[in-house]
Amino acid sequence: MNKLSASAKVYLIIVFIVLYAPIFYLIFYSFNSGGSMNHFESFTLEHYQAVFEDSRLLVILINTVIVALLSALISTIIGTLGAIGIVTVKDSKMRNTLLSLNNVLIVSPDVIIGASFLILFTIAGIKLGFTSVLLAHVAFSVPIVVLMVLPKLLEMNTSLIDAALDLGATKKDIMMRVILPYIQPGIFAGFFLALTYSLDDFAVTFFVTGNGFSTLSVEIYSMARAGISLTVNAISGLVFFVTVLVVIGYYFVTSRATKRTEGQQ
Amino acid sequence: MKSLIQATIAILVVSALLFYAADALSAGGGKGGKNTLTIFNWGEYIDPDLLKEFEEETGIHVVYETFDSNEAMMTKIQQGGTAYDIAVPSEYMIEKMKEENLLIPLDKTKLPNLKNIDPYFLDLPFDDNNQYSIPYFWGTVGIVYNPSLVSDLDFTSWEDLWDPSLKRKVFLVDGAREVIGMGLNSLGYSLNSLDDHELRQATDKLITLAPNVKAIIGDEITPLMINNEATVALTWSGQAADMMFENEELDFAVPEEGSNLWFDNMVIPKTSKNIDGAHAFINFMLSADAGARNADYVGYSTPNIAAMDLMDEEVVTDERYYPSEEQRDTLEVYKNLGPDYLGKYNELFLEFKMSIR
Repeated sequence: MNKLSASAKVYLIIVFIVLYAPIFYLIFYSFNSGGSMNHFESFTLEHYQAVFEDSRLLVILINTVIVALLSALISTIIGTLGAIGIVTVKDSKMRNTLLSLNNVLIVSPDVIIGASFLILFTIAGIKLGFTSVLLAHVAFSVPIVVLMVLPKLLEMNTSLIDAALDLGATKKDIMMRVILPYIQPGIFAGFFLALTYSLDDFAVTFFVTGNGFSTLSVEIYSMARAGISLTVNAISGLVFFVTVLVVIGYYFVTSRATKRTEGQQ
Repeated sequence: MKSLIQATIAILVVSALLFYAADALSAGGGKGGKNTLTIFNWGEYIDPDLLKEFEEETGIHVVYETFDSNEAMMTKIQQGGTAYDIAVPSEYMIEKMKEENLLIPLDKTKLPNLKNIDPYFLDLPFDDNNQYSIPYFWGTVGIVYNPSLVSDLDFTSWEDLWDPSLKRKVFLVDGAREVIGMGLNSLGYSLNSLDDHELRQATDKLITLAPNVKAIIGDEITPLMINNEATVALTWSGQAADMMFENEELDFAVPEEGSNLWFDNMVIPKTSKNIDGAHAFINFMLSADAGARNADYVGYSTPNIAAMDLMDEEVVTDERYYPSEEQRDTLEVYKNLGPDYLGKYNELFLEFKMSIR
C-alpha cells in the first residue's frame, strides 16, 4: 500500500465510494420513519421489525440462503472435478471444445436458460419448487466454478505430481494431498462466486420457482410495480451485513491458516 | 484438505438448521395437506391480513406467489408445474389465455357476492358475460404532472402535451399500446384502431411530440416524479396514485378526448386443483369488507360498489381515481388486436422512439 502514489490512492478511494455509496444509501434509508427514500425523517427500527414479523418474507429469505449455500456447495464439487477432468484431457482440440462449451453456458442469457429449464422440468415431471430451483442454480454455477478452479490447476507444476509418484503416492494420495490443497484458493473463490450468483439471480429463478417456493430476488422484483417499501431496504441491509460477516470470517480463517503453514516452514 | 471438509460440514450444518427454521416458521400457517389454494398475483397487490383471514374462515391453507408481468405469468401457467388456483392477469392477457384454453369457466352460483360489482365493469368485450374473469382492480391511463412546474396547463386535452413550454419535460411509459393509443386518442380515433391510415396519422403526430419527450421509461418514473425531478408523465392511474401519495403537489388528469380503461381480473387457470377453494376465494374478495380493505391497502380503484360505501369518502369521490360516468364514456378497454396489428403497433412505436434524439 505504501508504494501507491497519492493520485492512485485518491483514484482507489473514489472507486470504492462509487461501489459502496448506493449500498450505504439504501441501508441508511432502512432506518427512516418517513416511509420512502425522499427525505430522512427520524430514526426507527420499525422496518426491521416488519421483516421479523412477516413470516412469509422470512421463509423466503431463509430459502434463498439455503438454496445459495447448497447450490454453491454442489456446484463447487462438480465444477472442481470437472476442471480436473478438463485438465487431464490430453488432446488440445478436445480440451478447447470442452472449455468453449463451458463458456457458452456462462455467456448465454439467463432468460434462455430459465425458459429451457422450465420446459425441461415440466417434461421430466419434476415438480417446480425447491428441487427445481436448486438444480437450476447448480447448473448455472458449475461453469463459473470450473473457470475459477482452472487457472490454479494450469498454474500447478506437474513435477509436483511426478515427485509424489516417485515417493510412492497412490492416485488417491495425489488427489487428496497434492492437487486439492494446491487448488484450494480457487475452490473457495469458485464457491463464493457461485454463492453470489445464486443469491442475486432473478431471471432463471423466476421460471423455476413454484408451489409456494420463492426466493428473495423474485419477490423483490415483483414488488417493483407497486413501489418498493423500506422493508426491502431493511432486508437488503440484513443480507449485506451477513455477507460482510461471512467475508470477514473467511478472511480470518484463511489468514490464520497461512500463518500456521508459514510457521511450520 | 482438512479445511475443505470442515467448510463442507459447516455448510451442511447451517443448511440443516435453516431448513428447520423455515419449517418451524411456515408451520405456523398450519399446512393443511391437500386443502391448499395457490394464488398467483402481482407483487404488493393484496392486503396480507386478508389472506390470513381467509385461511381462518375457511381452513384452506393459502400459498401466495407473485409475478411481475402478464407475459411471465402466462408462461408459467402454460407450462404447468405449479397448480395455480387463482391468477390476476390484465384484460388483454385474458383474451390470449382464452384462446389458448388456459382458463376454467366460472360457476356464478358459487359467487353470490358478484352483486357487489358495479355492472359497468361487467360483460366487457374482453370476456363476454364474465365467463372466465371477475374484475379485481381497474384504472385509467392519464397524465401525472406537477402544477407548480407547468404554466397554466391542466391536461384536459392531450394537446397540452404538445405545448412548446414542455420542451424536454415529458416522460412516457414504455408501452406500444399506451403511447400509440395516446396518439390515436389525441386525434379523436379509437385506441383499438385497425385502420392503417389512422395509425399513420397518429404516428406522424407523435413524431411531432419528439422535441418534448425527455425519456421513455417504466417504473423508474415514480421516484423522479416524487422528487420533482420530472414535470409531466404519461402513466397508469394506479402508479399516479402512488406518486401522489408521496408527493402531494402532484395532480393527475385523464384528457377529455378519451383514454384507456384497464382491468386486472381474477381467473381460475386450467392448472387449478382446488376449483371450489378458488371460487370461495373470489367470493371472499368480492365481499364489501374485503374489497374496501384491499383497496385501502393497495391504493388502486375497486370495481366493488358495496366496498366503496365503507371507504373514505374523500377517496371514492375523487374523480381522478373514480371518474364520473360521463368521463367513463370516453374510456376504452384494449381489444386483442391479433398478432398482425400488434406487430404493426410495435413497429410504429419503434419508429416514434427512433425519432427522438
